[in-house]
Amino acid sequence: MTAVPSTAPAVVAVCLKWTPSPFDGGPLGPDEGDDRFAGVSPADRAALELALQLSDAIGASVTAIAAGPSAADRVLRDAVAAGATRAVRLDMAAGSDSRDVAFELAQVVADACVVLCGDYSLDRGSGAVPAFVAHHRRCAQALGLVSVDVTASASSVAGAPDGELTIHAVRRLDGGRREVLAVPTPCVLSVEGSVASLRRAPLRRALAARSAPVEVIATPPAHHHGAPAIVTPYRPRARTMPAPAGEDVLGRLRALTDAGTSGGRGETVELAPREAAARIVDTLRGWGYLD
Amino acid sequence: MDDRSLTTTDCDVVVVGAGPAGTCAAIVLARAGLDVVLLERGPFPGSKNMYGGVVYPRILDELIPSWWEEAPVQRWVTRRSTMVLTPDQALTVDFRSQRWGAPPYNGATAYRPDFDHWLAAHAEAAGAQLVCSTTVTGLLRDAGGRVVGVRTDRPDGDLRTRLVIACDGVNSFLAKEAGLYPPVDAANYTLGVKETLALPKDVIDERFGVRGREGVDIEILGGTGGVNGGGFVYTNLDTVAVGAVLKLPKLAAQRRRPEEIIAGLKSHPAIAPLVEGAEVKEYSAHLIPEAGLSMMPRLAGDGMLVAGDAAAMCLAAGIWLEGVNFAMASGMYAGRAAVEALRAGDLSTAGLAGYERRLSSTFVLRDHRKLRRAPSLVLSDRVQHVYPELITSVVERMFRVDNPAPKPGLRRIVRDETKRLGVRTRDLVRDGIDGLRSFG
Ligand SMILES: Cc1cc2nc3c(=O)[nH]c(=O)nc-3n(C[C@H](O)[C@H](O)[C@H](O)COP(=O)(O)OP(=O)(O)OC[C@H]3O[C@@H](n4cnc5c(N)ncnc54)[C@H](O)[C@@H]3O)c2cc1C
Repeated sequence: MTAVPSTAPAVVAVCLKWTPSPFDGGPLGPDEGDDRFAGVSPADRAALELALQLSDAIGASVTAIAAGPSAADRVLRDAVAAGATRAVRLDMAAGSDSRDVAFELAQVVADACVVLCGDYSLDRGSGAVPAFVAHHRRCAQALGLVSVDVTASASSVAGAPDGELTIHAVRRLDGGRREVLAVPTPCVLSVEGSVASLRRAPLRRALAARSAPVEVIATPPAHHHGAPAIVTPYRPRARTMPAPAGEDVLGRLRALTDAGTSGGRGETVELAPREAAARIVDTLRGWGYLD
Repeated sequence: MDDRSLTTTDCDVVVVGAGPAGTCAAIVLARAGLDVVLLERGPFPGSKNMYGGVVYPRILDELIPSWWEEAPVQRWVTRRSTMVLTPDQALTVDFRSQRWGAPPYNGATAYRPDFDHWLAAHAEAAGAQLVCSTTVTGLLRDAGGRVVGVRTDRPDGDLRTRLVIACDGVNSFLAKEAGLYPPVDAANYTLGVKETLALPKDVIDERFGVRGREGVDIEILGGTGGVNGGGFVYTNLDTVAVGAVLKLPKLAAQRRRPEEIIAGLKSHPAIAPLVEGAEVKEYSAHLIPEAGLSMMPRLAGDGMLVAGDAAAMCLAAGIWLEGVNFAMASGMYAGRAAVEALRAGDLSTAGLAGYERRLSSTFVLRDHRKLRRAPSLVLSDRVQHVYPELITSVVERMFRVDNPAPKPGLRRIVRDETKRLGVRTRDLVRDGIDGLRSFG
């Protein structure tokens, strides 16, 4: 665990995934390279807002980072207009492998006590980048958060013996359940779009941000050639089901969908993180999802 | 009045609205080395804007030489038709010129989100500071009532300036707030509605008889289901725009939905084969300042100019529906007058008089003056509901072969038909004179 450094000013980093136009072409649709519809997801905007709130509360500066071509500078300047103090662009092609992007991001966010990301991008990628960043930084991660308590997080510094910052957040679990988390820092968090709505940039800042400097970091050629490890979120394969028998329509529907009948699979266990992770992997393998 | 009192300004000029008027004003100002801020409420220029679909960009020769090499044009209009419709008849005057398909061209179909975005890039390249997603909510004025800036919907959103050029489109809230507008009358406005329909390019080429980038512009009188107005059909590369322009009080009185009227137009036997099988991609609607000269506001106030639709510059005269070129020109002249006034240090109404002088000596106000009777004539009940029937029935009888009856002479047909439709010769002559005065 790392305390908010008392000598160097604290940094909150926010990673913004610039995505080229997510729409199809065709009549009235934008052409390739049309930057009018390019941008970041509502989840990324929520991450930026949280980064700004958190930095206000703990007296940190905010570094906004995007990976992409020069067209991505616009989202960084928008972030500066909203209040980010530093803008960094990793000069990479759009659609680079998530592992490469995460590796490069991890270098830039090395000094950040909290790294915030959206939990999905406009092109609905796998959401894996925040996890890879946490892996490279060897720090805690909490993904898919539905709320972050900025006030409680900021006041954790005063209460902690070493002035450590702990992030108080809530994560969505299956079945409508919630997980209340106290995440030690440094950490990587990804948040849903509903967590916060991005403030409007003041007019003068919006004007000044038009010429705000963006640090451009050249990145080496991709490390991961060939098919990326994960290209889409994992979806269980379709299975052929025999048509359920019986007169009762609701009963047939239930049999077909498992609705209300599949309680047998859920299991609550309390384990240390390493064992818990191993147990999850074993269970998924047992269910045939990792074949 | 000199403007020495204005020492604390954020910029020289604030232009409100990055439509064709505002952007052309910004281009002129920025190229003159002035500090100009262009405020646009949409996320990018053109995102909020719609029109029928034909732009006449020759005025851009003065701002962007060889604009045709880079403008985001869909098709060059080489075929222009005027159609008169009754429920089951259509009379079309069809003109084609291949000369319009080569530089310097005449009209072009273009999508506004593309065209306005492209034009605004020229303003930015010239040095104008474009800030989008920013709505101007009011004017800042000094104790003497002079405009000294704008208020926007952003935090810390006031901007003080030496001159405001209001190019905020048809609703023209800023000119109204400044007291430049006469009382608003809904009869001066029409509602323009449009469907954009997707069809493969080769199908459009075949149905409309064009090739490559050639395009068609059809202006329609009648076919608007009894609501005074007109219709249009324009070809884009792989879409067709079908729309109607509807007089507001008539639309309200008849309690008709505008989309019903487009549906009626699309099912007319003369239009249906053109759009059959097309998929609706977009429905949009927008007001048009239709009454021209008779509804124009004062064009300048202390510290403020008004251009484009905000100044009712759109020319809507039946066979002509031209707004974008009038907006671009008025914006450009507003920009030039502003440069002159800023250099002279006089931004009072008198100091800004160069604007109206320029408009008066060019097509902008000259066309409006010449055509000042046209909007009310074209939208009058006789032109809308009686003459289409009169013209088509005269033509129908001319071409009908009623053997064994011999062919009637044209004079007799006209006499019969005017009598049948209850058209008084007095009205016919008066409307004819009005028409000649306007269009002659
Ligand atoms: C259905 C229809 C068909 C038409 N067909 C044609 C045609 O075929 N050919 C033709 O030449 N003309 C046509 N016109 C007319 C033409 O569209 C207008 O005359 C032209 O767009 C006027 O340009 P403008 O720049 O004055 O205003 P607009 O194009 O309306 O631009 C105004 C700009 O100001 C912005 N704005 C408004 N309020 C604010 C605010 N408060 N703060 C910040 N920004 C603001 C808007 O978002 C917009 O970008 C048609 C109009 C309609 C409705």
